[in-house]
Amino acid sequence: MVRMFILWCAILLSLNATDAYDKNCVKCHASLPISLEKIFMQYLAAYGGKNNVKVGLDHYFRYPAKDISVMPSEFLNKYGVYYHYKNNDNELKKAIDIYWEKYKVIGRLK
Amino acid sequence: MQALKSKATNSLLASEKKSLFRFLTLYILMMMSIIVLISLFYYQNQEKTMFLSKRDMLSDYAYEQIKKLKILHDSFPAHNIYPRDPRFKSAIYDLEYVKIFSLIDSNDIDFNKDMYITDDNKIHFIKTLYEYYLGAKYLILEIPDDGQWKDEAWQNIFIFGGIAIILFTIIGFYIANLFLDPMRSSILLLDRFIKDTTHELNTPLSAILANIEMIDMTSITNDNKKKINRINIAAKTVSQLYQDLTYLTLEHDIHKNDENVENKSLIESRVECFDILAKSKDITFILDLEESYIYINRRKWTRVIDNLLSNAIKYNTRKGTIYITLEQNMLIVSDTGIGIETTKIPFVFDRYARFNNSEGGFGIGLSIVKKIIEEYNMQIEIKSRPKYGTIVSIKW
Repeated sequence: MVRMFILWCAILLSLNATDAYDKNCVKCHASLPISLEKIFMQYLAAYGGKNNVKVGLDHYFRYPAKDISVMPSEFLNKYGVYYHYKNNDNELKKAIDIYWEKYKVIGRLK
Repeated sequence: MQALKSKATNSLLASEKKSLFRFLTLYILMMMSIIVLISLFYYQNQEKTMFLSKRDMLSDYAYEQIKKLKILHDSFPAHNIYPRDPRFKSAIYDLEYVKIFSLIDSNDIDFNKDMYITDDNKIHFIKTLYEYYLGAKYLILEIPDDGQWKDEAWQNIFIFGGIAIILFTIIGFYIANLFLDPMRSSILLLDRFIKDTTHELNTPLSAILANIEMIDMTSITNDNKKKINRINIAAKTVSQLYQDLTYLTLEHDIHKNDENVENKSLIESRVECFDILAKSKDITFILDLEESYIYINRRKWTRVIDNLLSNAIKYNTRKGTIYITLEQNMLIVSDTGIGIETTKIPFVFDRYARFNNSEGGFGIGLSIVKKIIEEYNMQIEIKSRPKYGTIVSIKW
């Protein structure tokens, strides 16, 4: 019974988390010509480790600016700096965590 | 002179041996420390030379590998096969030292060094990336270390270190001998003096003792009797010293003339001989003697007993007591005298060792005792407590 409860909780949490990423990131980026994975690789090349990438993303979402963006200037000139932070720290953190887990390189190289 | 010198050289004093041992220990320890330190510097230098010779090659490998990582980064995840190279193994770590991917055998990476040798003889070269391709900050290249430089380094350390040790030891012995020479010279001088004077003592001493024996004690006054007694005691003291000196300089090399000596009667006769000396200090002998025999040269055994009795009287207090216990295989002589400090006991057998200047003597008695004891494989033990007395026991 307890096991079932924990499983349900995990599923609900996971659905809620996926929502955070899908709702706040995927929907808007779908219209852009560059995939979220490519953007992730740009962040990875700029920031390196897991915590650094997450902190970099978080900072960018809070204070978006051309000069701190990891994207090429051509891209920024064409599409501009995108701002979608809705003052929801918890949701932002969840979205970033999902983003990292989804595209991280560790464990994917052969 | 030559014979005397070799004799004295062979019988180094314990203190002389101790000085030599202390000096050599200190000298060898210092020398070894210097050699170890030089060896360490040499080894590290050889390691650096080896690293220098490999660094250019590994830098080239790293440059090539980074280019491949960049290509993979750009095409990831469509291509996710980590670039391999038959010349080396590699791994990538992020700036939080988290492993991203690794082909190397050792996971024990030292990020504080840019090049080092692992415990399993692998050379690690760490290259820092300024663009974190695939999230990697550190690229680690691993090649096997053939160990040739190490073998050469150890070989040189052993050969030159060994030569240095031998050379320094010879120099050490030479310096130690230079230091000990003055000490040895004074011992030789004293030995020569004793030997020369001993020859001159015999005739007058024999004449004094013989004439005292011949004096008719009944025909002289009590006052003169006391004077004669004093002369007798003094002459016997000198006689005891003469016997020791003769043994030391002339007799200790004589061939064994061992016999079965009956201890009880010998001790009783020696006690009788020393009785007049003991009475001069109001010292009482208490004897507890069992029947006992020992196979030994009688004159040598007499020297042992005489020296123990002489010391027990000399270092006893006025109105003191000397206990002599004779068992089947053991002789114990104990006194109620001034005693010796425990720290000084190991040195009492040194020739010319004297710890009390109030009593006369050359400090050779117990040295002779020890020599004879060792010659006959006996054991001697001294227990002493200052102001309470000394117990000397001999087992055979």
